[in-house]
Amino acid sequence: MRNADRLCLAHSWVAFAAFLAAAVLGTWQMWVRSPLGAHVGTPGQYFMSVTAHGVAMAYVLTTFFIMGFGYFVAVTALNRPLPGLLWAWSAFWMAIVGVLMVLLPIAMGQATVLFTFYPPLTASPWFYIGLVLIVVASWVWCGLMIVAMWEWKRENPGKPVPLAMFGTVSNAVMWLWTTVGVAVELIFQVIPAAIGYVQTVDVGLARTLFSWTLHAIVYFWLIPAYIAFYTIVPRAAGGRLYSDTMGRVTFILFLVYSLPVGMHHLMMDPEHGNGTKFIQVLLTAFVSVPTLLTIFTITASLEIAGRLRGGRGLFGWIAALPWDRPTVLATGLAFVMLGFGGFGGLINMGYGMNAMIHNTSWVTAHFHLIFGGSVVIMYFAIAYEMWPRLTGREHPSRGLLRLQLWLWFIGMMVMTLPWHWLGLQGQWRRVANFNYADPITAGWGPLVILSFGGGLVLLLSALLFTRNLFVLHRGTIVVIARPLYALAVHPPQRVPAALNGFGLWNVLVLVLMLFAYGYPIAQFIITPSPSAIVHRMSAQ
Amino acid sequence: MTEEPARQSEPHVLDQPWRIWASVTVISILAAGVLLGVIIIPVVQGSGAGLDAYTAICRALGILPGSPARRQSPDRAPSAPVSQVVWTSDVLQILANAKPERGRAKVLEVCAACHGEQGISAAPEFPHLAGQSGAAIYKQLHDYRTGSRTNELMTAVAKALDEAAVADVAAYYAAQAKRNPNPPTLATSPDPIVRLVELGDPNRNIPPCAACHRPGSGGPVETPILSEQGDNYLALQLKNYAAGERRNDVYGRMRSIASKLTEAEIKGLASYYRAGFQ
Repeated sequence: MRNADRLCLAHSWVAFAAFLAAAVLGTWQMWVRSPLGAHVGTPGQYFMSVTAHGVAMAYVLTTFFIMGFGYFVAVTALNRPLPGLLWAWSAFWMAIVGVLMVLLPIAMGQATVLFTFYPPLTASPWFYIGLVLIVVASWVWCGLMIVAMWEWKRENPGKPVPLAMFGTVSNAVMWLWTTVGVAVELIFQVIPAAIGYVQTVDVGLARTLFSWTLHAIVYFWLIPAYIAFYTIVPRAAGGRLYSDTMGRVTFILFLVYSLPVGMHHLMMDPEHGNGTKFIQVLLTAFVSVPTLLTIFTITASLEIAGRLRGGRGLFGWIAALPWDRPTVLATGLAFVMLGFGGFGGLINMGYGMNAMIHNTSWVTAHFHLIFGGSVVIMYFAIAYEMWPRLTGREHPSRGLLRLQLWLWFIGMMVMTLPWHWLGLQGQWRRVANFNYADPITAGWGPLVILSFGGGLVLLLSALLFTRNLFVLHRGTIVVIARPLYALAVHPPQRVPAALNGFGLWNVLVLVLMLFAYGYPIAQFIITPSPSAIVHRMSAQ
Repeated sequence: MTEEPARQSEPHVLDQPWRIWASVTVISILAAGVLLGVIIIPVVQGSGAGLDAYTAICRALGILPGSPARRQSPDRAPSAPVSQVVWTSDVLQILANAKPERGRAKVLEVCAACHGEQGISAAPEFPHLAGQSGAAIYKQLHDYRTGSRTNELMTAVAKALDEAAVADVAAYYAAQAKRNPNPPTLATSPDPIVRLVELGDPNRNIPPCAACHRPGSGGPVETPILSEQGDNYLALQLKNYAAGERRNDVYGRMRSIASKLTEAEIKGLASYYRAGFQ
């Protein structure tokens, strides 16, 4: 096995080990919140578990998987060795040290702060320093992705960068922008507060800086799924990509519109004017454009595949698609979850509707459906495509792969749909337990139990997924001759510079960010607001 | 694309329109957002609310305070008569900079006779102070000084200390051996009492004791740590709160909670947290 292959596998295995542990914790949390497990554990244990679940799923699973997948794409799509392998391995070990520094304080009860960075509640400084190490490691990855693309362009002047790599680099560039907000918050506010260097903290500023990161980070997690939609799925279905240009425009729109929109998480916050909120909500509306473009393009690509396979009529091509292939099945299931989750997201985006659902289970259900559902099921699909090419082994039973994907889909739908409904009934989020003796809360019981049932199915699916990956390390080695990446219907020979690099778009992002966040951040320096007392988890 | 005329594939012909139109589109969307969100909507809605255009626009930008909330200074709220302590960043900085070594001399001179040199009290009626939070000790001493809390011994003692000495004494006792967050009585306490500590009783609107009174939990900064305390002292404080005889709890939190507890629960909680004098 080549060194670069080991690099991809190491990253991905760390990601999925964290995923499995977090899935166990998540199921436990569903149980203790349900009437079945009421009175089990203390609120302290519950929130500790939520913190570990959130950190493992949102930071460890995603960051490691995206880095591993990025290295894989850089080698396979550009068809050249990865630059800076030593850098990549150093970053990997730095991130591992970071993960341990994050997990130990959580286990010791010194970092029960959930996975968001909302002071004045602060964890042990080690927790934050560990997270900084993970972020710095991901910056090394960003640098390597940019260098890989740059070297390829130098060797292939005038040629369009392969779409998979273009998408990966767009994600790296976006991530560099994204992490600035939380990095500033951690370095100038949270870490000094956690260490004890300052006793009060401006929570308005902290929330604003975190909102900078908060929404774009979700797109950082999402883009690998979109890369798979555009470059892997059409080939897996036996067709071609409907439009290469549409893919490039999609990745660019994510870069441009995912950043100046974070304030839609602060709609109820008093520290910003309604005008600035309006601007960011309007820009948020435009984030739906790349998703709609993608649904159109990928559906068109699948239609091409379906018709090539003999599908006829308005919908006949759908039945003709090779649903027995895990990648195609995962895409179909991801689209269904993206549909439900996307409409839920539009509701979150509306000022008035947001006020109703903001502090309810609706929001928790929404991000589980979108991220845990649509995105993570595509991580599975990518893993099922990536592993055989890294280990040289095929899975003996496609049926088990499909079963795992179906279980994930069913589990996620059964868990999140009642959860949404409970949110509409006013079930609050971020609480450790419910008093089912209360007549109103008692009425929620059956739906909470149903939701927990979905959680159990998800755990089963997570276990089966891990088993499937282990199987892909055993058995006889075969030569995988299947090409991975799809060709476009009209393969591009030459694309405008704007669709082959990110210079122009970085300038536009800068302009948008200055408008969206310039004064909202500057106001905290012009007129400092009253600060809150730092509350340290590690105190005493 | 390969069949296009050669002129079409020259870089500037292909690149320039993209640069221009992409910039125009993005800037137009931004301009539309500014026009609608900062000018049109605030001016139209503001006129209905009796605001002039300038004020409405400034509010939309966040330059002038206004809807949805007006900025409020925290120290304008009257703190008397509950407690005179205001947790400004200056006070917190004094506590953070307090010197336990300086505090030790004062402790030996004034406090040790009742509360012990290491904060382990000499008699059941005096609370243990070892490992107690510095902010909690500071707040109680300050309350004795200002009369928010009264005690025939402590009022006189506290009035003889100045602000810096109060902080140093607090820092000294806070630096003594840490308290065990899970009292040794946990295993022997009856279930309903443990549940009251860990989960509270939502039916009576009683929050869990542990939500505030455990190291690292989420209570207000001045919350004392309760574990390893004398049970007589604890029971007396709960009864005083319930009867309204002790009133230096901010927002009446403890008066509200204690008044809902039964005699048996007060006794059970006190023995849950007890140490020393059985």
